[in-house]
Amino acid sequence: MVEFLQFLVPGILIGGVYALLASGLGLIFGVMRVVNFAQADFMMLAMYLSWALFAGGFGLDPFLAVPAVFVLFLVLGMAVHWLFIRFVIGKRENHDAQVILTIGLGLIFQNLILIRYSSEPRVVAPSYANAGDFIGDIFISRVRLYAFLLSVLVAALLFLFLNRSRTGRAIRAASENWEAATYMGIDIDRTNRIAFGVGVALTAVGGSALVTFQSITPFVGFRFVVVMFAAVVLGGLGSVSGAFVGGVLIGIIQSVSQVWTSAAVKNVWVFALFLLILYVRPNGLFGKVQRAI
Amino acid sequence: MRRVVPFVVLIAVVAVLNGWLDQRFYVRVLTLSVVWALAGVAWNLMAKAGQISLGHSAFVGIGAYGFTILLRGGGTSPWTGMAIGMGVAAAVALVIGLPTFRLRGFYFTLATISFPLIMELLVSHYGDPELTVPFHPESEWRFMEFSNSHTYVWVGLGMLVVALAISELIDVTSFGFALRAIRDNEVLARAVGIRTVAWKSAAFMISAALSAAMAVLWVKAVLRVTVAEEVFGITVVIVMLSVAFVGGVGQTWGPVVGAAFLIPLAMFLDDSIGESVPGAQELVYAAALVLVALLIPRGILPAIEKGCRRLATWPRTSLEQAGPSLLERLAAPAPRPSPLLRMPRRPLQSRLPQPSDTPVLEVEGVAKSFGANRVLSDVAFNVDAGRRVGIIGPNGAGKTTLFNIMTAHLRADAGRIMFKGVQVDRMRAPRRYELGMSRTFQVPQGFHLMSPLDNVVVAAIGASMPDPVVASMAMLERVGLAGKALGELSALTTAEIKSLELARAMVSDPDLLLLDEPLAGLNETERVRFFETVDELVSPHTAIVVIEHSVRSLIQYVESVVALDEGRIIAQGPPGEVVSDPRVIEAYLGSRWMEHARDQ
Repeated sequence: MVEFLQFLVPGILIGGVYALLASGLGLIFGVMRVVNFAQADFMMLAMYLSWALFAGGFGLDPFLAVPAVFVLFLVLGMAVHWLFIRFVIGKRENHDAQVILTIGLGLIFQNLILIRYSSEPRVVAPSYANAGDFIGDIFISRVRLYAFLLSVLVAALLFLFLNRSRTGRAIRAASENWEAATYMGIDIDRTNRIAFGVGVALTAVGGSALVTFQSITPFVGFRFVVVMFAAVVLGGLGSVSGAFVGGVLIGIIQSVSQVWTSAAVKNVWVFALFLLILYVRPNGLFGKVQRAI
Repeated sequence: MRRVVPFVVLIAVVAVLNGWLDQRFYVRVLTLSVVWALAGVAWNLMAKAGQISLGHSAFVGIGAYGFTILLRGGGTSPWTGMAIGMGVAAAVALVIGLPTFRLRGFYFTLATISFPLIMELLVSHYGDPELTVPFHPESEWRFMEFSNSHTYVWVGLGMLVVALAISELIDVTSFGFALRAIRDNEVLARAVGIRTVAWKSAAFMISAALSAAMAVLWVKAVLRVTVAEEVFGITVVIVMLSVAFVGGVGQTWGPVVGAAFLIPLAMFLDDSIGESVPGAQELVYAAALVLVALLIPRGILPAIEKGCRRLATWPRTSLEQAGPSLLERLAAPAPRPSPLLRMPRRPLQSRLPQPSDTPVLEVEGVAKSFGANRVLSDVAFNVDAGRRVGIIGPNGAGKTTLFNIMTAHLRADAGRIMFKGVQVDRMRAPRRYELGMSRTFQVPQGFHLMSPLDNVVVAAIGASMPDPVVASMAMLERVGLAGKALGELSALTTAEIKSLELARAMVSDPDLLLLDEPLAGLNETERVRFFETVDELVSPHTAIVVIEHSVRSLIQYVESVVALDEGRIIAQGPPGEVVSDPRVIEAYLGSRWMEHARDQ
């Protein structure tokens, strides 16, 4: 039992971060029906930014850098939308173009970072990196706890933004039915741009939360791509709150699987679950029934 | 002839280069260009059906590991290993494909990502992350151990030509028609008898097998070591995507053009600045993907073809001035023969006979809910052969849902549907169409990337007609669209699109024709004309069920009417009786108006 809890608790903690990573992907898909294959590479960029701010002379704690990361990636996301994404939105034929455009952008990010910083793994180790507390027999890592709390805080802020602010409501309206939203006078291009920016920024903050216990390489995104997709599909494509629940579940499964199999293959469980959900409940655990025509 | 020229050009170009180049690096560039062209052609087979796979490295990995393990274990020839790998890859493709092919949109793409990842993790952890390929100098051909590196290019060229021939063959047969129809409009494809899951599975299996074959050549000629991270890696998929999309996605020759352009570029760049710029190769592919997505999403080949066509027709202002054009020749009584379009499946004659004593359609106790919203409850009616039945009811009464249940686009929660005395509830849409059930759509559907003629040809293929093109052209003539048979779908007027829908639904000579609001958007003359056309086309045995809001036009045409309201049948019988039934008037006009009418 203790062994089980010893895996369950870190699973929940990392799951919170996955939830944050996935919520950005879910928000973008929900609003503009674009599966952003570059999402994990935005996370990678944010990790490098956190590393640069910490190790590059400023000594800025990655958790304190979060507001700066959020603002910078909000702007970056909006710029990427304005420069690239907006040209492949809407028409059904654009489906292919969206896939290759976002894959291409992700590759460009990876290789530019590779050229600049090489493939050497980077770590961010603040003074409390190895600290932790015992609750009963369960050890709780300090950095993972902080990462989890940060994710919960950002989730709460996201909830407030989507439900209370004018822009947030516009985003939700567009996500529900963008055609009807345009008739209600919502500027869809602006809404898309903001949603893409916010989506990218959410994932970027997730990346900042990870750096204290995840080493950074230009290709670190790969191992998170399917984790994010799995979380989003689990919660129902396009649902932000669903993505949150999905993320936590993925974290738990990944961690608890280590009771039975080696940590090296923990992602096999995640991928297998992802496939299972796609086959059995493609609309997610809480998905709506869709009409055929 | 037109199809042979590219093969001759390809073989000539590769032969000249292979004879002329002697530096090791250049031969390597040539070999890899051929290898990746082959990979791209394999990947592109799936794209013909509009399916973007991000998991093809699973098949490359299977091919590479398969032959290496067999060679190391029992000294099996790589050729045998290749054949076994192809078989395994095809089987795995079927397992991967079947569950996802029922889903549309992004789901196939998303599902394919995880397979190579799972395999790589399992192979690295429980197997060997790296396997050297043993050296067998004793027999060059048996062990694919060529001392002359040019021989690998010849072998690769041979494999590429075979793959291209397969792809061409698919294009010109009904297989290609089915794949293009699926890519264009999957719902419609199923409604006209295209067995989407079977065709997609077949394409995926061939594509997987070719990918596995390519892997053997890749490892033997270039890598020399089978590394899990490499053969199962995402880079394999990236290169496949890049060469296919740059050349032309879904186009047989696209990947060849793409590979000829991208692979040398990436390799020369890597050779010159690779030392200082480690990601140069990948940046070439990435930039190519981004540029193609933004500028020419359908690739170089279609862009060139479009340009050529514009040049060719430049001096003429319109098709009319082109003299006896293809359109007119087609409309003339001598239609072009199409031996390649013959279907191997059972011919139309074997479709269920119509028993003389039972109705064509029997709907019994059908119910359907969407969540808590009950759309149909206990709907029951019969339609006899050759009869015309109208379905009326206010918006939201469940009329289209009823049609969707009859044609298997939706599944009923309860009740059963008998068609020609056979229970069809568990049959999917293509099967019901084959049996003789045909429909049009409330929002007209079409294959927008195809000509009007091909729109009908797909339906003729779906019904396994012996000569689909001839039958389709004849049908277009009868609805008055012969002159526009080869034009663009977008150039048709609303009335013409309705005629095209009718031609598509009628080409199989169905026993039951379902028309969903056929008169919407037509003017008074066109409305009268529409039902006249229907009468000219239908055989005496064909029963017709029409959903229509224009009750006045409808009751002149049908022999009986079924009135639906809130998912229930509130009246059925002869048109005159049903439309004067107070419950029908109330459903249409509301109870307040009824009281008002009673007061008068």
